[in-house]
Amino acid sequence: MKKYTIATSISSLALVVTVLAPTAAFAQTDAPTAQPTATPVTTTVPITVVLTAKQQASVTKAEQEIDRRVAALDDLATRVQQMQKVTDAFKQSLVTSIQAQVSALTTLRAKIAADTDAATLKTDIQSITDSYRVYALVLPQARIATAGDRVMALVDMMTALGTKFQQRIASAQSAGGDVSALSAALSDLGAKLLDASAQARAGVSVSASLVPDGGDKAKLASNTTALKASRSDIQTAQKDIQTGEKDIKTILAGLQKIASTTLAVPTPSAATSTTR
Amino acid sequence: MSTAIKWIIGLIVLAALAWLVWYSGLLSAPAPVAQRAALVATTTPQQSAATTTNGMSAPADTSSAALNQDAAAIDAQVQGLQIDTTSVDASLSDKSITQ
Repeated sequence: MKKYTIATSISSLALVVTVLAPTAAFAQTDAPTAQPTATPVTTTVPITVVLTAKQQASVTKAEQEIDRRVAALDDLATRVQQMQKVTDAFKQSLVTSIQAQVSALTTLRAKIAADTDAATLKTDIQSITDSYRVYALVLPQARIATAGDRVMALVDMMTALGTKFQQRIASAQSAGGDVSALSAALSDLGAKLLDASAQARAGVSVSASLVPDGGDKAKLASNTTALKASRSDIQTAQKDIQTGEKDIKTILAGLQKIASTTLAVPTPSAATSTTR
Repeated sequence: MSTAIKWIIGLIVLAALAWLVWYSGLLSAPAPVAQRAALVATTTPQQSAATTTNGMSAPADTSSAALNQDAAAIDAQVQGLQIDTTSVDASLSDKSITQ
């Protein structure tokens, strides 16, 4: 009997919780059952709001701030569309984030311009500062992604040129030219490209995983630290690329020197190339 | 059975239900879009490698003119990278106008 009672009470309680939980959730959004019976009298009262000079100055500042951000985001959206080495899904996620920011800012600007109440105006202007926390994350996130994308494109281009160098250096060596400096530069180029690729991937990967802090100061601090680390990765990748470009110039100059001193160096056909 | 025992059993049932809901994943927040997209970006980064040349010469062309063309194309992109990294710096030092 006791077992029966316990089982029954458990089943009943579970049933009550299961049935009542959604009801309780919906109850929060249901319209109140007690409706006012009196019909309100609608009258139109013309309101003339004159903003003080200080309020007008705040509106002007707010509009400038919003315009500045929208311009930066528009520029960023254009750059994102030029990205080459990421998936369409990643590119689209960046574009969607940017568009959401532009849309929110545009709506806010229109609302501020139409505000007729000093208290509402103050709240709307304050919301610009609040929305800045999202903007301050989305902007560097996407900028880091575009820089990382450029690094990866450069790695591909320099790798392709490195392959051609390899053939030309082998030919020059066969012809008796001294290619030791060129081989060393080519080896350094390969190492720099490997590192640039790794740094760019790391930078983009870390920054892309961040989410807005939502007012949490600790989260804000960790986001800032992560973004700076990503920037550092991109800067290292950039230095690798710059060093790689120096290697390319060294090899080009070396090949030209060998070609001018060694007549036996074969010159492949240039029929398909064009000089820029 | 005493009322106290019934209450304890009830609380245990509630805790079990709460755990069940949590365990089923209904209460866990979905991963951020950027995070999910980043995963895709880092695992399949070779979307358009074959279709984009950026001013490079034909892969099989190893003539001096082709090498110079490739070097020039690379130089243009390196300058673009300089602009990109400057933009990264600017985005990180951006300050909101005090209202």
